[in-house]
Amino acid sequence: MAGAAWVFAEVAPDGPHPAALELLTHARSFDEAPAAIALGPGAIAAATELGAYGAATVYASDDPVFAEHPGRPAAHVLAGLIEAEPPEVVLFAQTYDSRDVAGRLQGRIGSSLMGNATSIRDPRHARAEIFGGTKLVDVELAGPAPTLILLRPKSIAAEPTGGTARVVPVEADVPDDVRGARIVERNEEAASGPRLEEAKVVLAGGRGLGGPEAFAILDELANEIGGAAVGASRAAVDAGWVPYSYQIGQTGKTVKPEVYLAAGISGALQHIVGMKGAKRIVAINKDADAPLLAMADLGVVGDLFQVLPALTEEIRRRKGS
Amino acid sequence: MSALALAVVLTVAVTLFWRRAHARLEVLRSARPSSRSDQPGARVRRELSHVLGQRKLFQKAAPGVMHAFIFWGFLVLLPTIVEAMLAAIDRDWTLPYLGHVAWFAFLQDLFASLVVVGVAIAFAIRKIQRPDRFRGSHMEEADQILLTILGIVSTLLLWNASRIALGIAGHPAAAPVADALSGLFGGGRGTEVAERVLVWSHLLLVLGFLTYLPRSKHLHIITAAPNVYLAKNHPLGYLEPLRIDLEAADDDVRLGASVATDLSRKQVLDLFSCTECGRCQEVCPAWNTGKALSPKLLIMDLRDQVANEAPLITAGASGVVELQPLVPNAVADQVVWDCVTCGACVRECPVDIEHVDTIIDLRRNLVMAESRFPREAEAMLRGVETSQNPWSQPASARTDWTASVESIRVLQPGDPPPEVLFWVGCAGAFDERAQKTTRSIARLLAAADIDFAILGPRERCTGDPARRMGHEYLFQMLAEANVETLNGAGVTKIVASCAHCFNTLANEYPDYGGRYEVVHHTELLSTLVAEGRLRPDPAGERGSVTYHDACYLGRHNGRYDAPRDVLRAAGAAAVEMPRHGERSFCCGAGGARMWMEETEGTRINDTRFAEAEATGADTVATACPYCFVMLDDAAKAKGSAVRVADVATLLAESTLAEPGR
Repeated sequence: MAGAAWVFAEVAPDGPHPAALELLTHARSFDEAPAAIALGPGAIAAATELGAYGAATVYASDDPVFAEHPGRPAAHVLAGLIEAEPPEVVLFAQTYDSRDVAGRLQGRIGSSLMGNATSIRDPRHARAEIFGGTKLVDVELAGPAPTLILLRPKSIAAEPTGGTARVVPVEADVPDDVRGARIVERNEEAASGPRLEEAKVVLAGGRGLGGPEAFAILDELANEIGGAAVGASRAAVDAGWVPYSYQIGQTGKTVKPEVYLAAGISGALQHIVGMKGAKRIVAINKDADAPLLAMADLGVVGDLFQVLPALTEEIRRRKGS
Repeated sequence: MSALALAVVLTVAVTLFWRRAHARLEVLRSARPSSRSDQPGARVRRELSHVLGQRKLFQKAAPGVMHAFIFWGFLVLLPTIVEAMLAAIDRDWTLPYLGHVAWFAFLQDLFASLVVVGVAIAFAIRKIQRPDRFRGSHMEEADQILLTILGIVSTLLLWNASRIALGIAGHPAAAPVADALSGLFGGGRGTEVAERVLVWSHLLLVLGFLTYLPRSKHLHIITAAPNVYLAKNHPLGYLEPLRIDLEAADDDVRLGASVATDLSRKQVLDLFSCTECGRCQEVCPAWNTGKALSPKLLIMDLRDQVANEAPLITAGASGVVELQPLVPNAVADQVVWDCVTCGACVRECPVDIEHVDTIIDLRRNLVMAESRFPREAEAMLRGVETSQNPWSQPASARTDWTASVESIRVLQPGDPPPEVLFWVGCAGAFDERAQKTTRSIARLLAAADIDFAILGPRERCTGDPARRMGHEYLFQMLAEANVETLNGAGVTKIVASCAHCFNTLANEYPDYGGRYEVVHHTELLSTLVAEGRLRPDPAGERGSVTYHDACYLGRHNGRYDAPRDVLRAAGAAAVEMPRHGERSFCCGAGGARMWMEETEGTRINDTRFAEAEATGADTVATACPYCFVMLDDAAKAKGSAVRVADVATLLAESTLAEPGR
């Protein structure tokens, strides 16, 4: 007998997606024995952890087809499972991969799908936020079972039950014509050093650096300091010197480090908005009128190509002694 | 016999036409009503100028002449269809009066020939010149339409020629073209047959065209006139409010346009009026810099979805359960966010399609119902909501710029209202570069002895960036709060420095109970110079200056002269960019694009700055803080020596002994 609630659990060889554990925790509020569907390499191994967070049953397949083709094979197998024993609701995490699967599944089985839910009362009632979280909307889902609901990750904290799941192997019977697009390559932007938002020291470069090469000077200084992250102003990002992930400001990241060092950044409002929470601000600029110098705790009017290497050298010397 | 044949053909054609047109009409009827009946006088005047006078078509010379020939020909030749029907029944029947007078025979001959010339020009444009504005348009469909038109008028001319050859035409001398063509016919039995064949060919082509119309882009010959009539009477920058009352919220809260049935009748009529001429695409800053958005393709894509869903819509379908969401089904998300709301497309469109308003309606749904918008704009919305300014600055910092300016009056509750309230705006108050403009204006107003004051910490964002972003609810809250403050302070006249604030205060606040005389700072300064209250140094020399029209001041509100007058008074030698005045090119910041990243194609501000730099001017003058920041950024990125400065700053430098900084 299928449970009332199924959870589509994203898995990877190193374990289930954290959102899957949140979904199980949430599902337990209206179904004491939810089931999890885990498809792809690592699924059977993940069943242990899924069970520990309340999954009574885990339908699992380690077949690589699910990792090689986005969305369609998973939707196909899910549709088959649903046809055999329809549950009342299938929960998905609001992630790129799960959204892909949920949308395709909805197209296949024609039931109601709700996105962006922040809590779920029962298989037919869920809640979402609008107006940037200032208003709540309660939604009733009509149509044939199961309803499909996408829950925003981190809506609730995952709580383990210490249970054990029964693992039901799933046949990965995916015909060629439903495999669709094939994943050829995966690229992850390598993150070196601490994340900008979490670093205690942030070194940011602006237009004054004159080109992408000059960021090496900041990298070197960051290395010497240890635990420092390198960021940039919008001008440097717009010029293509560093990627958008470096951008600090109104339309980029907001940082609140202990020390913020700005090199060659004049301090347009767009930038200041992203770093004004820094405890100490050091600014280096050739232009004595740069607004950032006025708000800095330590303002250096000078050539950053002299000041920065000298600073790196001094740190190196003191660490050496 | 002929009468019966005509009756059958006519019945079939009209029935087919009506069935097809009816389907379109039903879609229109299912759309949300538009309230576009105010000021009928202005609407009739627009009809005369835009439709009969072809004013917007003549914005382009050759295509304008081409279209005017065909359109005027179409009007003049309408009675000819009845004339041909009568003659089809009996060779000797014709229209009472018109069929007998020489002047109508002359007009018919003249305009039929002009249509031929028009079609020839059209083919020359399409096949030889091949402008880029047609990219994405249905070229083959256009060819078929043009060939059909050519067929209709050439059969008419030849028919008239055959009648002249048979000696049964009333006024051969009045129809020189047909008369010349009559030499083709030898007279006698063969010509008698040819005359019959030609009149029937003419009629069958006309009726065939009629049945073809409703499903084609050529439907504009029926929809254009009502579409022009229903266009906005307000300035281009005005957006129709979408009232959101959460307390009274029942099931019927409309949060912008999600599916086809959320569109208004004007919006749907817009879709059926597009002929894919691409004039909008040609002027669009997004399209011109390699973005996904083309206003033409947007309208075509929406039209195709509405046409595909027409049977569902007329069967009463509504909502996302039964209909596909317009975004991303018809248009991609990115397309909706590429728009700078500069209004160049709307101004250019010969049939008054309102692309921008539809884009905003799509954004409203994405932002308010789906929370789906470029993430980097979130900080702006949050700032506007919690701190009443896009940069999340404290309200107390709104007066920081006054530190170096003498005695600025900050209007306190209960104070007597000033003659003019200086609406500083968020950029003017917080942005270090825009503050220079603010200080210049304040010093100039003081020098002219104007009784003015600022609201200081009581001023809030007008809501423009939130509104253009699609967050109508946030805009509404800010509008209501600002109106309450302004009305409570007894303000009657406002001078605004930001073009966006100006547009919102002047055009949009009346919908929220705020009615003031609103002027832009360049207008007030121009008046003060004209009245002699500000006296720029007559020997002042500012070098050559090129003025960049802000969309929300120029095209959206028709203010072109005041900033130029001020510059001239300040001793500037004006040079114009190729794109200026109502055809100016956006800086790239409008439509809340100021708060979004621009990653596709080339940057709009760089493109515009390059155009300004190419004039050889020493200075680029702006009249809006958005334009100032965008063009100044472009100048710095390029390492250019060209200075970017506000009109007010340039006037202050020519007028005040101590212009300050």
